[in-house]
This record gives sequence, C-alpha cells and structure tokens, in this order.
Amino acid sequence: MKAYSREVSVALTLGGLLLGLAIFAPSFYQAQPLLSLAAREAPTLVAACGMALVILCRQIDISIGAQFSVCSVCAGLLAGAHWPIPLVLSASITIGASLGALNGSLVAGLGLPSIVVTLATMVTWREGLRWLRQGIWVDLPEGFQWFGLRQSAGQWTIIILALTVLVLLALFMKHLAAGRFIYAVGSDAEAARLAGIRPRRITFAVFVFAGALVGLAAMMNVAQSPQVDPNSGTGLELKTIAAVVVGGVAISGGRGNLWGVFAGLLLLACLGPALTHLHVQAYWEKAIQGSVILLAVVADGGHRRNQGSP
Amino acid sequence: MAGTGETKVLHEYRQAMTVLGKSLRLRHESILLLILAAEWLFFAAAGRNFTTLDNTFNILRHSVEIGLLALAMTAVVLTGGIDLSVGSLLGLCAVLFGTFWRDAHLPVWAAMLLTLGAGAAAGGFNGTLIAWLRLPPLIVTLGTFSLFRGLAEAMTRGVDTFTDFPASFLFLGQERWLGLPAQAPIFVCFAGAMWLLVHCTTFGRSLRAIGFSPEGARYAGIPVRSRVVAVYLLAGLTAAMAAIIYTARLGQAKADAGVGYELFAITGVVLGGVSIFGGVGSVHGTLLGVAAIAVLNNGLAHVRQPREVAGMLTGLLLLLALSGSEFLKRLATRRDRCQPSPAATEKA
Repeated sequence: MKAYSREVSVALTLGGLLLGLAIFAPSFYQAQPLLSLAAREAPTLVAACGMALVILCRQIDISIGAQFSVCSVCAGLLAGAHWPIPLVLSASITIGASLGALNGSLVAGLGLPSIVVTLATMVTWREGLRWLRQGIWVDLPEGFQWFGLRQSAGQWTIIILALTVLVLLALFMKHLAAGRFIYAVGSDAEAARLAGIRPRRITFAVFVFAGALVGLAAMMNVAQSPQVDPNSGTGLELKTIAAVVVGGVAISGGRGNLWGVFAGLLLLACLGPALTHLHVQAYWEKAIQGSVILLAVVADGGHRRNQGSP
Repeated sequence: MAGTGETKVLHEYRQAMTVLGKSLRLRHESILLLILAAEWLFFAAAGRNFTTLDNTFNILRHSVEIGLLALAMTAVVLTGGIDLSVGSLLGLCAVLFGTFWRDAHLPVWAAMLLTLGAGAAAGGFNGTLIAWLRLPPLIVTLGTFSLFRGLAEAMTRGVDTFTDFPASFLFLGQERWLGLPAQAPIFVCFAGAMWLLVHCTTFGRSLRAIGFSPEGARYAGIPVRSRVVAVYLLAGLTAAMAAIIYTARLGQAKADAGVGYELFAITGVVLGGVSIFGGVGSVHGTLLGVAAIAVLNNGLAHVRQPREVAGMLTGLLLLLALSGSEFLKRLATRRDRCQPSPAATEKA
C-alpha cells in the first residue's frame, strides 16, 4: 500500500473535489456534459500515456503538441481524399510513429538531450505546418465525424478506446519484461546496460511508441468535429506533462505508474468545469492549474524526503 | 627515471588536451560567427535595405526583450537548471506595471520599481522551491509558467488592456537616444554586466561548478542554495525589466505579453553552445545565438518570406548546431581513445 501512497493521495484529492461538487454544485453531474467532457479529454489521456512512458524512461518529449497537429491535418487531408476510416487511422498512427522515430534516433542514436531535440523538432513541425497550410481548417467529408456513428455512440467509442489503451498499457508496464525494461532504463541506464538491456533501443522504441499514441490521439480528436483545427495540438505537451507529474511520475524517471497519470489527468480535466459550476470566474483556471502542479510536486518532494531517498 | 619521464609526457598530454578542449569550445562560437556572417552576406545580397543602419537598429530594437531573457537564462542553464516561466512572468509583470500606473495612480518610476521588485520576488519564489525543497527546475517552472500567466489573465479578466502611457515612458521603447534605439544602451550595459559576472567573477565560476556537480560544489565550500536562488531571482528581475521595455515598445500591456518567449530564449541559449546539462557555455555564445535567430527572422522578411519559414529554419538550425557540436565532441573523444593515457578518462 505504501508504494502507491502517491497515487492514492491524488485519487483522494480527486474524490474530495467530486464530493465537494456533489454537495455544492450538483449541476456538475449531468450525463450529457460529462460525456462530452470525457470524450474531449480522451485524446489527451492517450497522449499522456505516451508522455508517461517517455518520462519513465528519463526523457521528455515537448514536440507531441506539434506532432498532434501534423497528424490531425494529415488525417483530415486523407479523409478528404476519401480514404476509408481504418486506412486513415493507420496512416495517422504511422505518421506519428515516424515523427517519434526522428526524435528517438536523435536522442538515442546521437545521444543529444531530449529536451533540446524535441524543442527543435517542435518548432520545426509547428512552423512547417503553418507555412504549408497557412492555418486553414480542413473540412472533413460527410460520415467521418464520430466514425460515421451517432454522436453518443461515437463518444462512447472514443472513451472506451482511450480506456482500453490505458488498461493495456498499465498491464504492459506492470507485467511484461519490455515494460520493466523501461523502468530499468529510466532508473539507471548504465545498470540496465550491465544487466543485458539495451538502453538505446528501449529509448528509441519509447519515442516511436509515444509518437504512435499521439497519432491515435489525433485521430480520436479529429473524429469529434466536422473540421480539423490545425492548432488543435497547441499546449498539449504542457497539459500532458502536468497530468503525468500530478499523477506521481518522477521527472527523473523510473518511478510512477499509469493509474496515477489517469487520476492526475482527471483531476486537472475536472478543475475547469468545476470552477464554472462553483461560480468562480473562468480566468482563474490557469492559475489554479499551476498551483495544483506546484502543490503536487511539493508534496512529492516532502514524501521522498520522509522515505530518506535522495 | 622512467616514472618522471612518464609524468612529464602525461603533463604535456594534459596540457595539449586542455588546449584542444578550449579550441573546441571556441569552435562552436566561431561556427556560429560564420553562420551569422553567411546570413548577413546572403541577405545583404538578396534583400533590399537590409544593410541600412535603420534596419540594423530595427533588428536590435526587436531582439532586446528576448536577448535580456536569454542572458539571464544563460546563468540559469549554466547551473544545470532551466526556467520555463520567464515568458509568463513577462506577461504578469506587464500587467502589474499597468495596474500600478493606471489603477494605483503611481508615477511611472515608482511603478517600474515595484514591477522590478515583483519580478525579483517571483523569480525568488522559483529559486526557493528549487534550491530549498530540491524540486526539479523543469517542473517547478512549468507550474509557475501556468501560475504566472493565469494570475495575469485573472487580473485583467482576459480582456483588459493598459494603454495611453505618457510619451516620456514610450520614449524608452520607441524613440532614439543619441541616434541609437533608446533601449539599446540598457541592453548593452546588461550584456556587459552579465559577461563580467559569468566570466570574470568567482560567482560566475561557482555557477559552472554547480552545473557540473552540485554536490562537489557544496564540498568545495560554495553556498549552492543561495547561488541557485540568486540565479532564478536574477531571471525574474530580468523578466520584469523585459516586461517594462516590451510595454514601452508596443505602447500597451496585455495578459498575453511574451507568450512563447521562454522558448525563443532557450533556443538562443542552446544555439549559443550552452550545454543544457549545465557547466558549459558562455555569454558571448548566447549573444551570437540570439543574433543569429534575429538576423534570420529580419532577413527573411526582407526577401519576402513568411515568418513561418524563419521559425522552421530556426528549428533546423538548432538541430544542425547540436548535431555538429556533438559530432566534433565525438571526434575529440575518439582521438582521446587512441592515446593510452589515464587523462583520457578526464572530461575534455
């Protein structure tokens, strides 16, 4: 139980928020707005899972917002060319994976620091996309929104897809050797190498996988509206890093799990609507999110010191 | 006898390695200087009016704020830290300055002083969390990145804009002083002071020591915590200074002032050859990095290319500079390995 104290405290905070809302603002609990909120945050959850893997591996990827935009626009263009939905989906995932592979090869192959590499690729993709597309919204053909289903069915599909990704990845990280390798490399790459793991391969694979998840997330976002916004990925990297950190994943790698990330994301996602229902002005949302991140990291620091580890 | 001979060889070898290391470090900056010269020549040939004095001053005027942030960021990155919050703090300070002046009816100079104080306090807050609670700088400043911007938005309710500043204040951002843009002397003085601080004082040396190894620096008697707090405090103070100049240049203060400036500043610093892991880098490198980006932006506008191309090329330039610098380092270490010497294990 002690090993999960951090995740439990995040979950308790979330529970407290939800309980407070139930007492002071029961209007928060209406089926339709909640369903929309969940569907809107589902792509962020998938992207946050990718970010969690990268951070567990002691790297960081701040280019995922730009990757998300590139994948969205490409998916929109392919859908406009009347490709069938499964093909568009796989194309989006492939594009995401190849963008991730470029980051991965620069970080794992050349040994460059990931924060700088992904800063550079972020700027390059974002500006390149703006240059080529001039910020035009892409129109989607009839029958693409909600994958051609009715709205509520489409929303449920997206939510279930995101939860499936979360559960599968959480089990993968916990029970499969490859998942444990990521923890090993994130804890101590040199020790992992001596234990027969190839840290560079793992790092490369993690970046590719995170890119693929971003491609999937982009597709889940594109399917929710009749048009594709080329700036839809702006700020996604900070949102996902915040969720990952609030969820108790150590930025120094090797510690944390995806259930915590899930709780952290839910907490941050509920804050905005909760403020509206509690009649706090919406302008405070960013300030409160920032405070939540700071509180989480301060609590984390105190927690670690109590355990006596550095 | 053989022993002393070996020691002598070793000594000479070490000296040679030190020289090589120095020339390598110089090489990054000289490559950057070449890039800058190539940019200049290309745009001078391709664009009209690029080489005029007016345009040079224009480049200077538009890069002062990012230049200031990048200079302070250099000190932060030298200690192995990072400050993502400077852009947001610029926005908050611009709004605070407007509030002090318009709503609290303070004279401009008092509003400036209070804004500088607020910036220093905000930077000190970052530094305290990082140094005393030993929290990772990336996450702390990510939190304050949201917090500062959020406070600015909350104070202005997202829409309020401060305008109609007195002409004597706008002089600072828009007019000329002795033929130079009025903000240029401030920037030059600040850059000179930063250079002296980082390269000619024990304070500057201690920042590098902290960047290489905080624990080692502590055992060497360096007050690591107060130095780290001082560096973030300086970054906050600089952000406030940049906010005042920004407000004077645009003639208005809004909550979205300086969005994305932290990334420009970090790009300039890294392009200038400062290692993101700390310990390595120079102030003149940063200045060259910021200049390379500013000239690229301005020059591409002169040859009628959209701003996006400039952004894209900045990203590619950063990747190229990083890979090139890493390649040179690898070359040097490979040369190291050919020599059977214990000095090879030392850091070049």
